[in-house]
Amino acid sequence: MSVPRLSSRRLRSALGVSALLLVGLTFWLGLFVTPPAEVMGNLVRLLYVHPPVAWVAYLAYGVTTAASLLYLWKRTRRRAFDLIAAASAEVGVIFTGLTLATGSIWGRPTWGVWWTWDALLTATAVLFLLYLGYLALRMVPMPEERRGVRSAVAALIAFVDVPIVHESVYWWNTLHQKPSVLNPSLNVEVHGIMAWTLLLGFVAFTLGYAWMTWTRYEISKRRLLLEEAGLAASIDDRMPAAEVVR
Amino acid sequence: MNFREGERKAAAPALNSRSKMTRSLLVLGLILLALAYVLFKGATNSLQYFLTVQQANASRAKLGDTTFRMEGVVVPGSIVATPVGVDFTIRYSSSLDRVIDYGTPPQLFQPSIPVVIQGHFQGNAFLSDLIMVKHSSNYVAEHPNRIKDAGGTAS
Repeated sequence: MSVPRLSSRRLRSALGVSALLLVGLTFWLGLFVTPPAEVMGNLVRLLYVHPPVAWVAYLAYGVTTAASLLYLWKRTRRRAFDLIAAASAEVGVIFTGLTLATGSIWGRPTWGVWWTWDALLTATAVLFLLYLGYLALRMVPMPEERRGVRSAVAALIAFVDVPIVHESVYWWNTLHQKPSVLNPSLNVEVHGIMAWTLLLGFVAFTLGYAWMTWTRYEISKRRLLLEEAGLAASIDDRMPAAEVVR
Repeated sequence: MNFREGERKAAAPALNSRSKMTRSLLVLGLILLALAYVLFKGATNSLQYFLTVQQANASRAKLGDTTFRMEGVVVPGSIVATPVGVDFTIRYSSSLDRVIDYGTPPQLFQPSIPVVIQGHFQGNAFLSDLIMVKHSSNYVAEHPNRIKDAGGTAS
């Protein structure tokens, strides 16, 4: 029984270390090895961070949606799916925040503004707030299953904004450029070592997401077990008092 | 444990739960307010973020002196630095407009780059107070010696 638990912990540690190493390698390649770009010069170096963190946000919300669907369907309803949905959404909110922050830092020198109300930026801000709302909803005290069902429904509603964010540059006039990688023709518009470094960034941040979500899930699981143990102890503690009152 | 002690112990979680409920509803309310603000800004700004030079010229009479954003490409050779900013011509398809900008253009501002400018028409010119550079999604390594390396000359 203890062998698989140990190997799972080792796997998680290995995942964390790999993510850290690959993120470090991405930064080294992005800052010191890759060349400056035409027009953008050294400002291009944010390319290796901004699209990968945005991708991870999409991925995180995709996982939250899948886990929420599994929780909503009574035949597959497990507490684990609710916890995975929550853990993934938490990581997603962090990465959406990072997407907005890195985009703003990149936007100031390239566009000339920190922020503008174009469709993609606005839809991303909406996405951030929707999932922040999802996490706030989870904090409202209510019975576990009711919270699970309500949160799952909220997660499904919030996910509607993900395709809107991605397609906004095609549906409306925007200042933000169209995707360089996840475009309809899947034609990567990044050249040479810059493309490989970007790909590495995608892998590194995806592994980072997996480690963060897994770790958060384990913490939530343990916290619930502790709460249940505490509740059981508290009931045991009150039983004699109740008998005295009676 | 006497009766009062038991009552106090039982009341504490109820109070905790009530204050937790108030706090979480307050947070939820603040998030909903922020969401409403962002959606309002989006509805009033994002749906028609800019007009092209062509569209703006076509509805010039209707636009009057209202402030809006206009998209086009900076015409090479048209940029003139002024004490207050920069003057240049912007083009979209065959439509052209002279732009008088007040302020510092962004560092990537240069000939042939697409820009979105914010301002209004006044006479024959577009008075702008904000230039935003609209760069492409194509990233190519800088290669200043490309022509020389290929055996050519830049002149």
